[in-house]
Amino acid sequence: MSDTFGSLVGKDVVVELKNDLSICGTLHSVDQYLNIKLTDISVTDPEKYPHMLSVKNCFIRGSVVRYVQLPADEVDTQLLQDAARKEAMQQKQ
Amino acid sequence: MSDAEHPNSTPGVEWPENGEQWSDGEENTMEESELLQDVVEEDEEIDLYNEETFGLDAVDLLFVDGKQSPAPPASPPPPSPNEASPPRPKVQIQAQAAAGLCHEARSSRERGAQVQLLDDPAVMRTVEGPPSLKSLDSAIVDCGRSSCWGDLNANTVSRSGVSGDRAIVGVIDRSARGRIRSPLQLPGERRPLQVLPLCGIERVRWVSGGFLSPSPPRFQALAPKMMQVRFGPNSPRPGSCFSPFPSPVHRFRLPVLATQLHPQHKRLLSQRPPGSRRRLKSWDHYAELMSAREKEWIIKLQMMQLQSENPLQDDYYYQEYYRRMEVKLAEEEMMGDRSKREPPKLTTPYVTKTVSYTPVVHIEGSLGQVTVSTCHSPRRAIDAVHAHTPEEQKDIRQQRLEVLNTIEKCYVTLLGVEAAERMKTTVTDEEENRRLMKTMQRGVEEINSQLRNLNSMESMEEFLPCLLVLKGKKLLARLLPFLSHDLGLHLLRAITMHLPVLMSRDADEGLPVLYPPLRTVIGSLSFSQLVSVLQEFTAALPDSKDSRLTLACQNKFGLSLLYALLSQGERLLTSDLPMEPSLGDFETWTDTVFQVARQLSHTSLAEPLFLPSNLLTLFCRYLDKRTVQQLRNNMESSTGYLAVGS
Repeated sequence: MSDTFGSLVGKDVVVELKNDLSICGTLHSVDQYLNIKLTDISVTDPEKYPHMLSVKNCFIRGSVVRYVQLPADEVDTQLLQDAARKEAMQQKQ
Repeated sequence: MSDAEHPNSTPGVEWPENGEQWSDGEENTMEESELLQDVVEEDEEIDLYNEETFGLDAVDLLFVDGKQSPAPPASPPPPSPNEASPPRPKVQIQAQAAAGLCHEARSSRERGAQVQLLDDPAVMRTVEGPPSLKSLDSAIVDCGRSSCWGDLNANTVSRSGVSGDRAIVGVIDRSARGRIRSPLQLPGERRPLQVLPLCGIERVRWVSGGFLSPSPPRFQALAPKMMQVRFGPNSPRPGSCFSPFPSPVHRFRLPVLATQLHPQHKRLLSQRPPGSRRRLKSWDHYAELMSAREKEWIIKLQMMQLQSENPLQDDYYYQEYYRRMEVKLAEEEMMGDRSKREPPKLTTPYVTKTVSYTPVVHIEGSLGQVTVSTCHSPRRAIDAVHAHTPEEQKDIRQQRLEVLNTIEKCYVTLLGVEAAERMKTTVTDEEENRRLMKTMQRGVEEINSQLRNLNSMESMEEFLPCLLVLKGKKLLARLLPFLSHDLGLHLLRAITMHLPVLMSRDADEGLPVLYPPLRTVIGSLSFSQLVSVLQEFTAALPDSKDSRLTLACQNKFGLSLLYALLSQGERLLTSDLPMEPSLGDFETWTDTVFQVARQLSHTSLAEPLFLPSNLLTLFCRYLDKRTVQQLRNNMESSTGYLAVGS
């Protein structure tokens, strides 16, 4: 899974966290736990989290991520789906 | 002085000079504060009471005169049965006085402190009280001690001389477990926390009560079986149990009525009957594992768990049982057998239902639930079944879920097949090749059987559930290249047959994904097969006057399919390959072409995915120039580029 994100490094993504906070930023790096580093972040949606105004870069622990919204044109959905299926298969075994 | 009040007291008991005799070896600092609080609580009560009753000078007055205060009765009324008394939040706790004088007061240091306190009653000081067994307000523990005045008198012999002495409190020795008896019962209310000058209060208490002031009386825990009694009429009122802190109301008492009882008096009123005295003998080694506050807290928790807004449902047996018991008692009462007695019953407060949150978060259109951790469900597994669907949609959803699940499983197999295909191209070994082929075939067959199993209905409905879903379309599109010719044709037929349904329910425009593989299949069709497929197009639909043809004109995919079929026919006809047409094929073909041409020229066409180049050639052969021109315009207007043709 992380290599899927690895191919997206440098692209703009929106990370939605489990605490309902959505952060838009440029994907800087991803690791095996899907911890995400974003640069040049901004809080999407209503700016009801003003404490993030001055933050430029952030590190997000993988376990708190609910969704990662990817740019549609930069992702081969077919490939992504296949990769996910293969990974699910591997995990089952 | 003391003798005057306690005629039975042992004469000659002096102020204990040796403090060690008063204290036991064990010292529990943890309970000291508890003891202190109880001390001050009662102290304040008594203080207030005395102030109200006697005035401010009463303290010294009483001390000097040693006369008994008129207000508190010398002998309290005989202890009323506890069952009749209203339930008290505080359990009567008494110190056991097994060996009255065995355990003495505190060490001399305390006495030293006492001396200082004696000097200045106004000094507010925190006195480290001797550790108490339990606080006065423990809701459960009842050492079962009866505070008979006789006991009091018998045991106060040593205390009588220690008026005003902190040692009085010290006598009440925690570890002694109430071997020093506290003759006093505790009042029902909680006493406020306060730090008070103990010295004066000591005196007052001692004098006014005429008995030892065991403000932190030493109590012994009830044997467990005794605790149950507390859940009878004496069950602690839940409301008062629930705060570990005393109610502040007590602290600021309003001007009291004359009938207000002295706190100690109140305690005495609620004392247990003498019969329970013998329980004092039993020694509970675990008596002080928990402080009274801790016990209360536990009880509070347990009571809270018992709360319910529907007790009849939650605790049917209990409710029913006591209902029947009450009925029985009522009957007995009617018959005059015995006086009405309320059966002991645990009453829990009924609570209104708290606002219920929805722990299940369901996003529309998703397969399952979002994993949401809540305090009630720390980890919630994602179910494949949605719990909130209305009943009538449940079946449809179930079916859909089933289909999707099957498709997913097929995908796994398909991935294996594709991987084998890829390997086949790289592997040169014949053996390997064959093995791969076998794997692929097996996979394909498996998928086929799975897809067909989806719909156990008539064979006409094969593949339809799969086709209706975008995922299924993609699956079939990827599967088609691996299918044999016959299977491919079968699928093509199925698609053509269900074309109207597919087109109408293709909200996410997934049909075009099927076009390329289908085109390949069409390209391998024979003329007869082609004609038969085309016949489907022109045949009238059973439930509408439109044919698939008319509907297909409006749809990208349908039109493209049509074009592809026509193009194939033309190719077959113009090629030099020998055809084996069945009887009537050509007629059907010609008819179809005419029909299609007519339709195409009349209706506005959707833009096809691909416009085959030989279409116009085909039409030219069969139709007149004018019609062809019309067709051409029509087709070109939709496509935007010229249809190559003559």
